[in-house]
Amino acid sequence: MSTREEKERLELLQGTLDLLILRTLILGPQHGQGIARAIQQTSEDELLVEHGALYPALERLEDRGWIAAEWGTSANNRRARFYTLTRAGRKQLVAETDKWRRLAAAIGRVLGPETEG
Amino acid sequence: MAWKRRSTSDFNAEIAAHVQLEMDRLREQGMSEEDARAAALRAFGNRTAAEERFYETNPALWGERLWQNIRFGMRMMGRSPVTTAAAVLTLALGIGANTAIFSLLNAVILRDLPVRNPKELVLFGPGHWRGSVDSVPNRSWQLFSYHFFQEFRRKNQVYADVAAIDSILMTPHGRVGGAARMETVGAELVSGSFFETLGVKPVLGRVLNEHDDVTPGGHPVAVASYAWWQQRLGGNPSALGTTVTIGSTTYTIIGVSAAGFSGVTVAQSPDVWIPLAMEKEVSPGWNGLEKDWFQSLYVIARRKPGVGMGTASADTNLLFQQIMHEYAGPSATAQQLENLRHARIDLTSAATGLSQIRRFTSPLLILMSVVAVLLIIACANLANLLLARAAARQREMAIRMSIGAGRARLIRQLLVESALLGIAGGSLGILLASAASRLLVGLVPTGSQPLPLDVAPDATVLAFTLGVTLVTVLLFGTAPALHATHLDPVTALKDGRAASGLASHNRLARGLVVAQVALSMVLLAGAGLFLRSLMKLLDVPTGFDRENVLLMGVDFPGAGYGDDARTERLMRRVEDRVGSIAGVKGAAFAFVVFDGGGWTDSVTVPGRPVSENDPEVFHNIVGAQYLGVLKMPVLLGRALTAGDDGASKVAVINETMARLYFPGVSPLGRIFSVGKSAEWQNVQVVGVVKDAKYMELREKPTPAAFYPHAQHAGFLYNFLVSYTGEAGTVVPRIRRAFAEFDPNLPVSDAKTLNDVVSESVLHQKLVAQLCTLFALLAAFLAAIGIYGVMSYATARRTNEFGVRMALGAEAGDVLWMVLREVLGLVAMGIAAGVPLAAGASRLVESLLFGIAPFDPPAIGAAAVAMTAVALFAGYLPARRATKIEPMAALRYE
Repeated sequence: MSTREEKERLELLQGTLDLLILRTLILGPQHGQGIARAIQQTSEDELLVEHGALYPALERLEDRGWIAAEWGTSANNRRARFYTLTRAGRKQLVAETDKWRRLAAAIGRVLGPETEG
Repeated sequence: MAWKRRSTSDFNAEIAAHVQLEMDRLREQGMSEEDARAAALRAFGNRTAAEERFYETNPALWGERLWQNIRFGMRMMGRSPVTTAAAVLTLALGIGANTAIFSLLNAVILRDLPVRNPKELVLFGPGHWRGSVDSVPNRSWQLFSYHFFQEFRRKNQVYADVAAIDSILMTPHGRVGGAARMETVGAELVSGSFFETLGVKPVLGRVLNEHDDVTPGGHPVAVASYAWWQQRLGGNPSALGTTVTIGSTTYTIIGVSAAGFSGVTVAQSPDVWIPLAMEKEVSPGWNGLEKDWFQSLYVIARRKPGVGMGTASADTNLLFQQIMHEYAGPSATAQQLENLRHARIDLTSAATGLSQIRRFTSPLLILMSVVAVLLIIACANLANLLLARAAARQREMAIRMSIGAGRARLIRQLLVESALLGIAGGSLGILLASAASRLLVGLVPTGSQPLPLDVAPDATVLAFTLGVTLVTVLLFGTAPALHATHLDPVTALKDGRAASGLASHNRLARGLVVAQVALSMVLLAGAGLFLRSLMKLLDVPTGFDRENVLLMGVDFPGAGYGDDARTERLMRRVEDRVGSIAGVKGAAFAFVVFDGGGWTDSVTVPGRPVSENDPEVFHNIVGAQYLGVLKMPVLLGRALTAGDDGASKVAVINETMARLYFPGVSPLGRIFSVGKSAEWQNVQVVGVVKDAKYMELREKPTPAAFYPHAQHAGFLYNFLVSYTGEAGTVVPRIRRAFAEFDPNLPVSDAKTLNDVVSESVLHQKLVAQLCTLFALLAAFLAAIGIYGVMSYATARRTNEFGVRMALGAEAGDVLWMVLREVLGLVAMGIAAGVPLAAGASRLVESLLFGIAPFDPPAIGAAAVAMTAVALFAGYLPARRATKIEPMAALRYE
């Protein structure tokens, strides 16, 4: 049993998950389940997001003022809490995306050209 | 960060909505309702963990969760009320004892005087001496003359102001507001600059200023203390102008000092302050305003802002040497000049005032350590209790962890529960402490009045208690919390009794018990040391009869008598009259009595060279029957008699003085002189008396001389009466005899010399008694610890004992098995405790009398006592083990 391991995974995901949420919300307001689905679909099921892990991230982002939340009605007429990207969130997304790209490129250069296995 | 009011229910609603939406999606893909729900929940993952994390990110909910923890904790405590009550009481005892002793320490040595910027105040010397000094000490000075004070104040550069205070609080009898009744008035003689130096303002009228302290005998004014104004004058604003008559002088109250201010001496609360210029009027015979070498004053000064201790000290000593060389003048002896070279003033901070009861400082520090150890022992008990409870709650913990509660969350929950215990114990402890500290202050006899020492908990005390409680909670709560949450839920769920944490639980619990025994050993051995030291002290032969002698105080100047031959003749008549009362064997006045200070001075014998090593001689002026009253046997020559009233001075000396000053010859008929004054030259020795203790029980054999008061005019305060029968019938007769001479003569309550002697070892007695009390408490707590651990251990071995007994083991075998375990624990505790006790006792060496710090009887007694207590504590669970029904025990598994 290992609460500790779980926590480490969360920490590993933290920055990335925030970025993914912000990126998803740029397409328009979305509720938690929708965000989870969207991340899974756009990553072609490469990224498996534990839906539960999403909510602490959403809380955090809301805290920082990057997203705003409001109860509304979903497409199939269910009540759900919808998240919207704020102006600050948009800025953050740009900054984070840029940082992430540079990081990915740097790591790519370090790792060298892809080789067939 | 924004304050979020988002509630848990809102968050839960969102999660429910999420699961619903996911289900909707999956059902669209053709799943059945049930499969969809299962899949949605699976995709969501650990819901509890999500909630946990939600809490982590949301500070607004901390309060809510804390409240939840508290409610839960309260429920858990309510479920086992006896355990909880025991825990809270144990804590209250530990914290209460610590707070009580700390309140005393705080009041005696820590608290600042209620004056302006107390940190700027300095005292010249450490302020230990009281009385007067007329020599030139060759070391750090503590007492100063009025002349010196005035000159120093005029010439000094580094102090904003300087004040002088008589080192003795005068307690003459007087009449307040013209009343007929005489009452004791605590009068502190101070310089006119006293209030200005301290920065103490009046609440009514005015305080003394330097114009009130100019002409000797010319300033019959007094400032009332706030407390006295409240108690004696009813807090009435019209009290200004009230008169206080002391002797033949009538003083007018010109003001009342600020509330809370009771002078600069801790635990001493003067009723009035009177200018030093009135010294002779307040206390005839105690007057040295005009003498350069009548040194009886404390000097206190306020440093100018920015003047450090170093600068102040350098300037003070420079000026001191300059003034003293002036006084010594050209006629100074070589010895005086030599002494002066070593004379100095050590500045002491006066921020916390000065105190005659500072002699209680080291006892208080010892008691503080004792109660700290007691608290640690109490903590060990609580830790054990919580460990046992944690074992009982293993299933709960395992379930909560397996449904996703984080370990941190559980630890927090357990710590909140400990903190609740701590807060309950701490609050109860403060209540206990305020009662206990008042009780402790009450144990110090000060005559009819309680010791004026404010031990009510103030901010410092409360902060101390809070700190102690926090430390306590961490001490007893952390280990069990870490321990309880460190488990494997699967095993723990399968069977609470077989879970893996048990072995380590046992080790921890036993370790705690061993530590308790070791620490209790230290306290018991310490208590033994103090008790044995006290017994040795009380066994010291005093050399005088303390059983059948009464002591009374007679205040001649209070009734207007002068320090003259007329008063002395009255004293002789009183002695004769009281001596003739039925039941009285003899009566004598005395200048000093046991534990009442003393007058020591050097002595010169013609033809005998003065040596630096000559000890000073103790002098006493006494009535003719004094030696008989105290049953001090005359060894040579004769005792003093009523006939010793002529012009040629006589004395009876003791063995030690005879040996030191008249070695190898009979001292009878020989001559000696005391100091320089004409009155004390050429005193003839008429007898030698056996040695006795004169000032305290611990003193070494001291040379002493006794002089008849018929040859030394003046009044004496102490009146000794030896009697037969009941003191209760004799005392009224003595009082009536005094009233025959003068109904206005104030005579104090009588006490026996036995009381006087036992009061003289009061602080040794208090330390011994309190240490014993705390050590017994400690042993009791350790016993509870042993009982708890052994009960738990035998309960867990029910099965094993059942098997053993089924196989033929006798009850005695089982009993012995358990007790052997107890003995093992105690042996380890004692083994660890003995070196600890030996080390600790070295720290209290200076307070011991007649025994070495490593005292085998004390340590042996402690070990025996501890073993007995432990066996008793272990016997109860052991007996329970012998009562096990083998069949029931086997089925139990």
